[in-house]
Amino acid sequence: MFGPTSILITTIILAVALISLLIIKPSITVSRGGKILAFVSLLVFPVLGGSMGVSEHIERSKNTEFCTSCHVMQDYGKSLRIDDPSFLPAAHFQNNRVPRDAACYTCHTDYAMYGDFRAKLRGLRHLYVQYLGKVPDKIELYDPYNNRECLHCHLGARSFEEGATHNVEVGRLDLIKANKLSCLSTGCHEATHNVKNLGSLTFWSTDSKGKTGDAEAAGDAGTGSDK
Amino acid sequence: MAKTINMERRLRIAGTLVVLGLLIELISLLWSHPIAFIVFVAAGGLLIGVGIVIYLYSLVSGGESVVRENDEVKAISVPK
Repeated sequence: MFGPTSILITTIILAVALISLLIIKPSITVSRGGKILAFVSLLVFPVLGGSMGVSEHIERSKNTEFCTSCHVMQDYGKSLRIDDPSFLPAAHFQNNRVPRDAACYTCHTDYAMYGDFRAKLRGLRHLYVQYLGKVPDKIELYDPYNNRECLHCHLGARSFEEGATHNVEVGRLDLIKANKLSCLSTGCHEATHNVKNLGSLTFWSTDSKGKTGDAEAAGDAGTGSDK
Repeated sequence: MAKTINMERRLRIAGTLVVLGLLIELISLLWSHPIAFIVFVAAGGLLIGVGIVIYLYSLVSGGESVVRENDEVKAISVPK
């Protein structure tokens, strides 16, 4: 299939070929056709390729594999395979409630490169800290987790709207929807990544008929495969 | 000492920079990693940007080639 990546690579290769022609024989720019060729190959194609490339890289950064490629995030990738359904990210990942190849992005849409300009700057700062700075011992979200991320999928779902706990008192559902009652930090869905205790947990592995108990075995969370 | 500054030379420099930038961008696309994005923008983007600026400069300053030879300046019209 001729997808965006193929178009991008074709554009770049075409630009390189045309520019090489200009480098070898710049005198062709004397003619009108040569001037147009120079304009297209030195300006139009590179700008087009650059724009498409940025878009492609941002699209790729949604991959779970991309997020967990930094050492500091690898434990978070492993936590997606904790063999305990009370752990929210693990339950979502293992039951395909989020796409496995975009698990991080699906629940953290306002994070790093995905959110507003400020979030993108934070993403660049993370890169700086990862390679040139000091990674903090404890990694925390900049802002408390917003229910909005949960409601992207759960809003309108029968299990959410009619759930007994969500309707245990009048107005509770409205508080949840207004982000005034946190899904995560009010005692309802508190177990999230819990990376500090990974060593004492068991992990789900689809290729070994069950549990491995070894955190290393869960390290392939980022692959998004069912192997 | 002869020193030649002309549009063709600027085009060659611009073309070389843009090609290098494009090749770096192409290589960065083969790698899905945060560093690949930085290489794409910082190295590839910078080279392409500088190449385009040199190309645009060659357009506005072009039209004639100047050959400086033994402190004697001759203006040579570029055929159109």
